[in-house]
Amino acid sequence: MDIFDSMKISSSALAAQRSRLNVVSSNLANIETTRTPEGGPYQKRDVVFRSAPLGFSGVLDRAVQGVEVAEIRANTDPPKLVHDPSHPDADAQGYVALPNISLLEEMVDMMSASRSYDANVTVIKSAKRMALKALEIGK
Amino acid sequence: MKEITQVVPQSMPLAPAKVPAQEGGKGFMAFLEQAVGEVNRTQIESDRAIEQLQSGQAKNLHEVMIAMEEADISLRLMVQMRNKLVESYQEIMRMQV
Repeated sequence: MDIFDSMKISSSALAAQRSRLNVVSSNLANIETTRTPEGGPYQKRDVVFRSAPLGFSGVLDRAVQGVEVAEIRANTDPPKLVHDPSHPDADAQGYVALPNISLLEEMVDMMSASRSYDANVTVIKSAKRMALKALEIGK
Repeated sequence: MKEITQVVPQSMPLAPAKVPAQEGGKGFMAFLEQAVGEVNRTQIESDRAIEQLQSGQAKNLHEVMIAMEEADISLRLMVQMRNKLVESYQEIMRMQV
C-alpha cells in the first residue's frame, strides 16, 4: 500500500461526490417539472453509495475501501399538490402535482457534497505533503 | 504541464548512465532501469490524461490532477535517487589511494 493508494481512494470519493452534485443539480433543475417521459411530475433522485475495494492485493489493502455510486434511485414520496387552476397541468379540482423536491434539502445536500469534496481534496494534498516530506529525508 | 514535459528529456540521459556498470552490478542496474521505467510510465500517463482532458473526452478533472501529482512525486523521487548516486560516486572519487 503506497502513498498513491490513499490518493486513489480519495479520487473515488471525489467522483462519488461529484455525481452527488450532479443529482442535486438535476433535482434543482426539475423542481417545477410536471411532465416526464414516464408520465406525472419529476421524481426526486437520491444517490446511494457503496464501499468498493480498489483492486488491491494484500489483506491489509483489502481492509481499506474506496466508494462508488451503487445506484441513483427515484424517490417514491408522493408529489406536492399545489392549488393553481391556471396551470396547464392542473387537474379537475385545480391542483397541480409538483415534484417532491424541497429546495432547502437540496441546498443542504449541495453544501454537504461540496464540503465532502473539499475534505477529500485535503486528504490528497496531505498524502502529497507526506510523500514530499519523505523525500526530504535524504537531504 | 509544460515544465513537466520539458523535464522528461533530462531524465532520459540518466538511462544510458547505467550501461557502463554492466559487470557485476546486474541487480542495481535492473533496479535503476525499473525505477526510471516507472517514472517514465507516470509521465506518459499524466501526458495522456492531459491530452484526454483537452480533447474533451469524458474524464474526471481530479483524476488528471492526481495523475500529474503522481508523475511529479515519482520524478522528484528519481531526482533524489540520482542525487544519492552522484553523491556516492563523488565520495568514491575523492577516496585517496
